[in-house]
Amino acid sequence: MAVALLLTLAAVALSLAVGTRPVPLSAVLDALLHGGGSRDALVVRSLRLPRTAIGLTAGAALGLAGAALQAVTRNPLADPGILGLSQGAAAGVVFAIAGGLANGFGGYVWYAFVGAVVAACLVYAIAARGRGGASPVKLALAGTALSAMVAGATTVVLTSSSATLDQFRFWQVGALSGRDAGTVGQMLPFLAAGALLVLACARGLDALALGDDTARALGHRVQRVRVCAALGATVLTAAAVAAAGPIAFIGLAVPHLARRLVSGGHRWTLPLSALLGAALLLAADVAGRVVRAPAEVPAGVMTALVGVPVLVVLVRRKTVST
Amino acid sequence: MHRRSAAVVAMLILLLAGVMLLSACVGQAYVSPGEVWQVLRGHGGPYDLIVGELRVPRIALGALAGAAYGLSGALVQTVTRNPLASPDVIGVGHGAAAATVLALATGTVASPGALPAVSVAGGLAAAALVYVLAWRHGMQPSRFVLTGVGIGVALSAVVQLYLTESELAAAEQVKLWLTGSLNGRGWDQAGPLTWALLLSLPALVWANRALRPLGLDPDTAAALGVRVHRFQLALTVLGVILAATATGAAGPIGFVALTAPQLARRLTRTPQLPLVTSALTGSVILVTADLAARTLMPPLEIPVGALTALVGGPYLLWLLGRAGPGARRAGW
Repeated sequence: MAVALLLTLAAVALSLAVGTRPVPLSAVLDALLHGGGSRDALVVRSLRLPRTAIGLTAGAALGLAGAALQAVTRNPLADPGILGLSQGAAAGVVFAIAGGLANGFGGYVWYAFVGAVVAACLVYAIAARGRGGASPVKLALAGTALSAMVAGATTVVLTSSSATLDQFRFWQVGALSGRDAGTVGQMLPFLAAGALLVLACARGLDALALGDDTARALGHRVQRVRVCAALGATVLTAAAVAAAGPIAFIGLAVPHLARRLVSGGHRWTLPLSALLGAALLLAADVAGRVVRAPAEVPAGVMTALVGVPVLVVLVRRKTVST
Repeated sequence: MHRRSAAVVAMLILLLAGVMLLSACVGQAYVSPGEVWQVLRGHGGPYDLIVGELRVPRIALGALAGAAYGLSGALVQTVTRNPLASPDVIGVGHGAAAATVLALATGTVASPGALPAVSVAGGLAAAALVYVLAWRHGMQPSRFVLTGVGIGVALSAVVQLYLTESELAAAEQVKLWLTGSLNGRGWDQAGPLTWALLLSLPALVWANRALRPLGLDPDTAAALGVRVHRFQLALTVLGVILAATATGAAGPIGFVALTAPQLARRLTRTPQLPLVTSALTGSVILVTADLAARTLMPPLEIPVGALTALVGGPYLLWLLGRAGPGARRAGW
């Protein structure tokens, strides 16, 4: 846990100091504490600080949401995309671009947010119908089906309107640069609420891992735990995707890492997933600045290229715990 | 149980024939069923070009690709014992896409005609890489699937990067191919697919006997005398070849491989995934989606991959809401 915290701090420091214009760490501290008008100070404060803040919050949110959803659906393949969240957000953005309602990343935020929430509500409503309520398998399948349908609809728009595709492809890749600094402020209340909801369910999620019947016997209200955790994950993902675009992979891989590193149930794995998610996204963003300097590789691409080898090694080393 | 399966197969065959005939009749110009029949019997006539040269090959390709996707999905989901798995999850679609994009970006492929071969090779190579990376003292389904998702994400990151770095026109071309379409395709692409499906038949008969225990857990299957690893490998290879061939023929059409087996199982109400029914369901989904792709927004044609989900999705969601008796078993 402490190690993860250190890792995250190191990632923050790197994110503030590294770039096309390297700034020594002492100068970074100076700029943050005393302000000042030097060029270095301006770069750090006006460009890198917001970018780092978005990376921290979005990474933590995705890691936490992924851990919660893997527990809710009892499926190691679950990630924030599974309840239709990412596709819902993407549909909101396509709708905004095609309708000429919003321009630039700052304008997409609310459309992405609303799209993700609507998709998740639909998935839950569908899965909860019929016998047995919203079982893990039904949730996952309903999410996948709805995701695919929404993706189909957005593809229809994208393949028939090149102007929309031209803007959308840059949002879709997921990146921390060029985002609106005010976004983090707007998203903070949602992130806090989502995190609280998920963390409050930690014990219930532990029980869910034993199967529904055992959880009930232990006195947990299975359906309530599921709804509460899924709702928290929905809000977290919606806010993260709205802020940074659909950054893949963090929500999928980080919970596996966390479960590998600590035992002791979700009270430990949930916060650890948040920390690791933040560290991974920031590290990927920094790497993306360095790899092809002065050009940048979007963070969404780097998370995949950096994270995949790590996941493969992890998965090879042990049996996969779910 | 068995009678029900037979009835479902018969019903799906009728449905498929009906949709194929309808698809041959409608389009920019309406041709009556009688005239379609004349063309099919080789009597020629005014509709030879539009029905015989354009619609029929395309419909046949759709049925074949749908069957290959559906069958492939059933095999992969059986091996991984995960209803969310599909050939795409083990890297086939992403491998094909990344190979195609790299070939375009580096200009190594001179003619568009060579692209299907490139995408088949990419799909096979990616799946092989996933298998090698996930193999360690045997093959665990969850490890296999996770490795596959990871490799898939890395490959799709390459494609995403290309989409942001390329000119808009090139990005549009790639996006179109990535969505999958039967437009302008026909007998040329249907050949390899037919072979792949025919060659898989004996293997499937042999596999069908082993599928039942594989759907249980590996230990039970091994106790029943099934050589689990050999079966897992054989079925995976078969599923990957089918999916890669279909991708080369029609592009990486999503959703068919994922949902066809789940739909089929809920129709037949069998505990394990029915292979023949999955293939037929895949055909029905893809032919119907292609019909919609041609006729919804004339004269524009929607890429069929954008519609497969819109055709199969609502039905799957409706079935989920009904929750058949098989849905109670966790894991499926």
